[in-house]
Amino acid sequence: MVREYQEPLYWQIRRMVLSHEDADDVLQNTFIKAWGAIDSFRQESRLQTWLFRIAINESLNHLSKKKQTLSLDQTEGSVADMLASDSYFDGDEVQQQFQTAISTLPDKQRLVFNLKYFDEMKYEDMSDMLGTSIGALKASYHHAIKKICAFFEGRD
Amino acid sequence: MMTIDHRQQDQEQLQQPATEAMEAKLLERFGAEKPFAVPDGYFDRLPGKVMGRIAQRKRRRLMWRWAAAAVLVGCVATGSMFFERYEEQQTAEAENIQYIEDALDYSMIDNMSIASYLTEAE
Repeated sequence: MVREYQEPLYWQIRRMVLSHEDADDVLQNTFIKAWGAIDSFRQESRLQTWLFRIAINESLNHLSKKKQTLSLDQTEGSVADMLASDSYFDGDEVQQQFQTAISTLPDKQRLVFNLKYFDEMKYEDMSDMLGTSIGALKASYHHAIKKICAFFEGRD
Repeated sequence: MMTIDHRQQDQEQLQQPATEAMEAKLLERFGAEKPFAVPDGYFDRLPGKVMGRIAQRKRRRLMWRWAAAAVLVGCVATGSMFFERYEEQQTAEAENIQYIEDALDYSMIDNMSIASYLTEAE
């Protein structure tokens, strides 16, 4: 199970938590939780969907715990600084700005944005995984895109 | 009167072209590549790390179960030991009481009775 799903799970998590060290922690916790809860895994949902759900919950929990230790003012600046100094961030300054803009979204909106924009996930599959209605997901994506565009209009 | 579902669908239809247009702008400017990297060999090492942590948890769980069982056995043994002592104590107390009662019986004989007994014997 670990070998088969580690990479897709890792990238889902990494896009949410941004740092490799945090993604490593969350990914390991995801597999440990899955192992502990394997008896409750019901056959009607796919294993991948079930694992993704655990990974997303773990990522969101991690983010909310981390935010409790940062003040609101620090968040945006600290993301930009973190990415600039992160040896496992490959992108140029443009990508750095893009990731900073994405990090300003509320966590759940950011999740929807990542799944739709980067993975081109269908809303039906997203709805199945997150347990949210398709309409709500479409609205969430719309707001996310609008907010990111507004972020750059303010700076350009 | 329009239901909520219809209103939501209408809103989605209005938003759709705007969303697609904005999305296209972002794709043109930033693309959709992942700008993240991982340390060399990370995915090769990860399964071993995870299995190691799971094995550690299994050992800890087993240890707790043995500890719980040991505590239970200890409680039962201690309990039965106290019960035995209690029973012994009860028996000892009962014997004491009999001794005291006997002693009282003897002490009921007063000095006059002792004197007359002695004089009768002569």
